Formats: sequence, C-alpha cells, structure tokens
Amino acid sequence: MDILQYIVNLGPSVMLPLVIFIIGLLLRQGFGKSLTSGLTIGVGFIGIGLVIGLLTDNLGPAAKDMAERFGIGLSVVDVGWPGTAPMAWASSMGLIAIPIAIGVNLLMLLTKMTKVVNVDIWNIWHMAFTGIIVQLATDSFIWGIVGVAVHAAIAYKLGDMFRPVTENYFQLEGVAIPHGTSAYMGVFAAPIDDLIEKIPGVRRLNLTTKTLQDRAGVLGQPVVVGTILGFAIGLLAGYPFDESIQLAIKMGAVILLMPMVVKLIMQGLMPIANAARTTLQRRFKNSNYSIGLDPALVLGDPQVVAAALLFIPFTLLIALIVPGNVVLPFGDLATIGFFVAMAVGVHRGSLVRTLISGFVIMFITIWVSSQMVGLQTELAQQTNLLNNAHQVGSLDQGGSPITYLLANGASGQVSLGFVAIAVLYIAAFVYTYVKYRRGTLYRVPAPAPAEVKA
Amino acid sequence: MKKIIVACGGAVATSTLAAEKIRELCQREGIAADVQQCRIPEIPSRASEVDLIVTTARVDADYGKPTLHGIAFVSGIGEEALEEKILAVLR
Repeated sequence: MDILQYIVNLGPSVMLPLVIFIIGLLLRQGFGKSLTSGLTIGVGFIGIGLVIGLLTDNLGPAAKDMAERFGIGLSVVDVGWPGTAPMAWASSMGLIAIPIAIGVNLLMLLTKMTKVVNVDIWNIWHMAFTGIIVQLATDSFIWGIVGVAVHAAIAYKLGDMFRPVTENYFQLEGVAIPHGTSAYMGVFAAPIDDLIEKIPGVRRLNLTTKTLQDRAGVLGQPVVVGTILGFAIGLLAGYPFDESIQLAIKMGAVILLMPMVVKLIMQGLMPIANAARTTLQRRFKNSNYSIGLDPALVLGDPQVVAAALLFIPFTLLIALIVPGNVVLPFGDLATIGFFVAMAVGVHRGSLVRTLISGFVIMFITIWVSSQMVGLQTELAQQTNLLNNAHQVGSLDQGGSPITYLLANGASGQVSLGFVAIAVLYIAAFVYTYVKYRRGTLYRVPAPAPAEVKA
Repeated sequence: MKKIIVACGGAVATSTLAAEKIRELCQREGIAADVQQCRIPEIPSRASEVDLIVTTARVDADYGKPTLHGIAFVSGIGEEALEEKILAVLR
C-alpha cells in the first residue's frame, strides 16, 4: 500500500503515464506504442498545467481588480472544459470511470434500457467529474462510484431521447449524442419550444444567419475572442494600455493553446478508446442500435455556429445578472456552442428560439457553476492544477445540474436554490422524456416562417 | 508534402481520432503529409494553404478546397470508403 501511495503522491503527470503504459501492454498494443501513449498523456498534463497557469496568473488578478472597481462579483476564472477534463481524468475517479461507464452501458443494452452503444471514451470525463465531485462532497468513494454510474445512465438515456433530433435535424443517421452540455442542457429546449408555439407574435419570428456569419465570422475565431476579452478585462480592471494589450495577447494564447495541449491527453487515451470501440461494435452491430458520439459532430451546423457566435457576448451579459454569481466566463466561451447545440436542433434551427432557451440554459449553468466553485477548487488542488489561483470554476460540467444535484443531494446540502434547480431540471427532463415517448420531440418543419433580416 | 487540416467542434476529441487515422493512412500509402487539427470556425482562415479539409462535423460551407466528411473515422462505419476518397484527393 505504501508503494501505491508513493506513486499516487507523484501526481497525475507521473501516475497516469504509468497506468496508461500498463493498460497499453495489457491491451497488447506493444511496448513502443504503450510507452508513447503513456508519455503523451503525461506531456498533456504538464502542458495544461502551464496553460491554466498562464490563464489564472494573468486573468485571475485582472478579474479581481475589475470586480473590485465595479462592485461586481466575477472574480473566479472559468477554466472551461479544456481545464476541467484534465482535472477529472487526473482524479481518483478518472480511469475507473471508463470501465464503470462501459459496464453501465452494457447492462442497459442487455436489459434493453437503451439503444446507445457509446464508443466515445473521451467524454466519459463528464461522468468522472460528477463522480469525483460527489466523492469530495460526501467523503465517500462508494458515493463517487454511484455518481459516475447514475450520470452514465442518464447520459445514455439522453442519447436515446435526442436521437430523433440528431437524425432528423443534424442528419446523422444511426448516431446518438449522449454527452456533455449539449444533451443534458437540451432538455430545457422542448418545454420552451412548446411555450413559444403558444405566443402568436414570437411564434413566427426568425433570423437569417448567413449575413451574420459573413460579417462577424472573424469574431468567432477563438484567438480573436480570447484577445478581445483579455483587452476589455484589462481596461475594465483599470490597467494602463500597455498592460491591457499584453493581457490581451496572453489570453489569445490561452484560448488557442488549450485544445492543443488537451489533445495530447486524448491521444494518450487512444489505445483504450480504440480497444473499447472495437469490442463494443463487434458485440452490438445491429442497425437498431445507435452509436454514441461526441457533440463536436454537431458544432459545424450553420445555425449552431451562428448561435455560438451570439452567445459569446450574451453569456457574459447573463453572468452579470445571475444573482450572487462569482464566475467570469472565459475558458468555455470559444466553444459555447456546445451548450445550445441540441437546443438548436430541437428548435429546428430557429435562432430566435435558441436565444430564448439558451438564456435559460446559460442562466442555470452559470448559477450552478458559481455554487460549485468550492468543490471544483478542492478538485483542482488535489490534481495539482490550481497553480497560484485561489479559486477556479467552469461552466462545462462545473455548471451541470446533474453534478450539482447528485453532489448536494448525496451530502444532504439542500438549500432553496437546490430545490429550485431540482424542480426545474427534473420537470424539463420528464417533459422531454414524455415527448420522446410520444414521438413528438422533433416536429416536422412548419411552412416557411416570415423572416426578419439580421 | 500534402497539407491536411482536420476540424471538429473543440479540436480535441473527434479530430484527434480522425487525424491519427489519416496519419496512419498516409504513412501506409507512402504519402508525405502534414496533418493538423483546428476548430471549425478556424477553417476559412487556413483553407488557402491546405490540400484537403476533413471535418468530423457536418458543414455546408464551401471553402474552395476539397472537403470531406470524416465521421466514418469516429463511428467506424464506412472507414474504407472514406480512405479511398482521401487517397483520391491526395494522389
């Protein structure tokens, strides 16, 4: 046991390469390939540590100054999913989550509770994150495992529920998108869509997006988003011009570099991902099944791209009005489309409706992420990814009602906010589920609505 | 040297899978290729310098360069057909 503890104490950048190397050998990937995979994942962790350091060391103090000057509370930097996924992988739930999530999937397939054959190993980090947060909240490893399993079961069910949307709107035949913010926040879209149908004026509103994309396309480039935001926050923090422009370039660098280093973690996981995919696909080949894949597949849809563009400034505005919010959206902004992608599909591409349901989605996400700052900071500390920051948060998965409800529910921290989120989330989920069962979740497009030029 | 960009939503998960498969394919077929990853919104600014664009997400835009849908590398269905298409562009 002492040896195990010694290895764990070396930190994730040493422990994970070792584990991946051994798993690689067990999966008969050969010595060379296993070694490279292991080392690559280690490099990924070192890299994400450096980039998060650059982010929190520079944006952190600026956000604090800005918060003090204007009396607004946004002093905790959102490290986004590129900062959060490594924390989940490096935690004690990280690699255990993979067999648990696959086990739950197999069990549900065999008992015909789902048709989703999930081959997307990367996004199991969402479930691992829920697991470790539940574990930290309850101080119980077993509860952590339960957290992973429950989140996995919900995710596969979401994949089934949204299959009519992924097939009809996104035209991905035989594909389910069970993962991440797209699916779990997508449940808010169905009740809101039905509500809008009842309002005569709003019902027919629409926007054409082609012009918007052509004109504002460059503003959607991640590096431009990061740079502008860095510059604006520098000025708002009261920095002189020279320091603001330096902060701007650094934040552009952070946003561009983040996926580059996180990619290495994904590369290191590939032997496991490939082995799992081959095994699962051999067993469940029938066309009745759908393959569970990454929501990244729907981020190319023009309406999703347009929504993602609009939601960059929109999310920042929402962050200002959410009561008690301390989280400054940043790391997730470049991929904010993940949050509203499924809603776009449910609304059959209507941008006006996506703005309405997206407002609710982002409002809830930001409020929840603000509540989770304490637990997420604890996790960051445990995985050596806190650096010099005092606190960190994230919208993607830090702002998930599923994680929040499971963690606070299991530890018995029931507040008024908890009840409100529980009622809203469960009601939206049940509403969407009933529509899915009735086969009315995806309506056939109505005749061309009146258009308002954007 | 052929330049290929592989794009997806976040430039991490699905594009890494596809990029890795394309690298293996090029190595197997003896084609010198530089395979890079990016996010979908970054494609327009990089399209002019590449020979082939592969996206794992569905995109309708015309970037003025051969563009292929790389979902087969992610789902595992129809991989060989896609490999043929890629080779047809690169050769």
